[in-house]
Amino acid sequence: MSIEVGKLLDHRNGIQKKRIFWDEELYRLEMERIFARSWLFLTHESEIPKPGDFFCTYMGEDAVIVTRTRSGEIRAYLNTCTHRGNQLCQAEAGNTRSFTCSYHGWSFDLEGKLAAVPLEADAYHNLLDKDRLGLPRVPKVESFGGFIFGCFDPDAPSLRDYLGEMAWYLETFTARAGVELLGPPLKSVLHCNWKVPTENFICDSYHVGWTHAAALKVMGGPLAAMSGNTQAPPGIGIQVSTRHGHGFGVIWEAASALHRQPDYEEFLRAKQPEVAALLGEMRGKLYRAHWDAGIFPNCSFLYGTNIWKMWHPRGPHECEVWSWTLVEKDMPADLKRKIQKEALRTFGTAGTFESDDGVNMHGCTYTNAGPHARRGEMVSVMGIDHDSTHPELPGFVNDANYSEIAMRGFYRFYAELAEARDWNEIIARTHTVARNGGNSNGAPQTATPRP
Amino acid sequence: MASPVGLELFHQIEQFYFREARLFNEKRYREWLESMVDREVYYWLPIFEERYRADRKPPPEFPPAIYDDNYKDLEERIERFETNLIWMEDPPSRIRHLITNLEVYHAANADELETFSNFLVCRNRREHEQTLMIGGREDRLRRHPDGWRLLRRKINVPQRVIMDTNLYYFI
Repeated sequence: MSIEVGKLLDHRNGIQKKRIFWDEELYRLEMERIFARSWLFLTHESEIPKPGDFFCTYMGEDAVIVTRTRSGEIRAYLNTCTHRGNQLCQAEAGNTRSFTCSYHGWSFDLEGKLAAVPLEADAYHNLLDKDRLGLPRVPKVESFGGFIFGCFDPDAPSLRDYLGEMAWYLETFTARAGVELLGPPLKSVLHCNWKVPTENFICDSYHVGWTHAAALKVMGGPLAAMSGNTQAPPGIGIQVSTRHGHGFGVIWEAASALHRQPDYEEFLRAKQPEVAALLGEMRGKLYRAHWDAGIFPNCSFLYGTNIWKMWHPRGPHECEVWSWTLVEKDMPADLKRKIQKEALRTFGTAGTFESDDGVNMHGCTYTNAGPHARRGEMVSVMGIDHDSTHPELPGFVNDANYSEIAMRGFYRFYAELAEARDWNEIIARTHTVARNGGNSNGAPQTATPRP
Repeated sequence: MASPVGLELFHQIEQFYFREARLFNEKRYREWLESMVDREVYYWLPIFEERYRADRKPPPEFPPAIYDDNYKDLEERIERFETNLIWMEDPPSRIRHLITNLEVYHAANADELETFSNFLVCRNRREHEQTLMIGGREDRLRRHPDGWRLLRRKINVPQRVIMDTNLYYFI
């Protein structure tokens, strides 16, 4: 590899070279080393409930079809015909018995098998070895809490192990009644590198009061005080970074802060004792907190506001954002509808918050067109001397509302994954860290290297 | 099919839409809301899904929308502009609405009209940014003592993946 990723990123001092948002060569390396090795969010089981249901998405820049077979198993295939490589499925979702190519009519069943070839006897003299021409399968497809992820690397750990400590946190909202995503997703183009929105969602509570000053001011209520970043209310939140580059920021008791009607808050208060009984008081508390979160590499969500996002990379200077609404399965239909309205009103394509972000993300990317700017560095030093462990919370925790700990954790793992020979090297390192560190007092032992 | 309106009423409605476009171009949103929009308005920009013609999967139970706004929702969006804290609008963007293909019909209710129109919206920001959006609108207008007001609007945007950074402007 001609790029030394480690030289672009200094996690100990919280520094990233600006060219990480611009370089073509680094982008190609990311496709091979980050996107080809990570578990990538595909869709949710609630989006493909029946055999024959399918959903088309991307893993990095590879188009894939996610489908439920006749036996109910979920599989993913590269969305490309094995004959001449045409895009096989050209609808974005639906229900089908087979996928038929628009070029010569080759047809593949839900198990990915090449089932029918027009004029097979006349054109191929019945000599075509159809068994060898099935759709290429994504080797690993697994679910957690109904969220379906795929991974191109057969040596990667299980999805559960990949999510690691983050899974403990995700259970806060997945374990009680289960969740579903309301789709189809909104889709729009952002003129920015895919890492810019990713690092924003994973930790950036600092921008909220400034970038979103207008929306906060109009909204009123407890968060209006954040507008303009003139005061930092003490003790309102924490920041968390977990093994494999995941992380999130928390504002306590603020899950429903962006919802204008009280019924979501009432639902959370009613269900909180169930969550606490099932998972303990700490996760009961997290259940009523607002989270801005990232699942490495390019999946983000806001728990509470309940928007779920993928940032699909489209070259180094562009990405596509897909947005679903996250709801709990046992919510009344009327509440699901209201949550969807509020989630998309704030973080949809014309979102009162979302529309503020795109401009900054464009700016963070395109200033690097200049070679002098590109040689510079960016800092993520916020709270760097206050990173710590916590008696009850896994991972590394910064006990403050403002900290870039999860951004440092993201880039730390980004470099580790890009430079590692393979997953075995990473897994071995995880075990070493777990032996030497780890939390006490009953919290799951941390496997996160200090960010 | 409902019957088309006469020339004079058609002219009135055409002027209604040209005035609305001018208020949008000049970003006089408050004036638009208070003088051209009915209190019971529903302003809707749904998304669609690219499906095969023969597809049999039922449509989603909760269809998502980019705009799903009542009067209060629209007013809050306008208040956001009025804070002057939207950095994207400082320096301000420039926007131009062209309205074409107008058809105006009598509705079943004598105090209402149904209309169809097409739009082209061009937004320019900073030095180089220019985005275009072309689509259609299906409206219902309601007669008020001082003229017509927008009661319902469905905006059809043909882009599945919105090619602009956001759609935070009125159409």
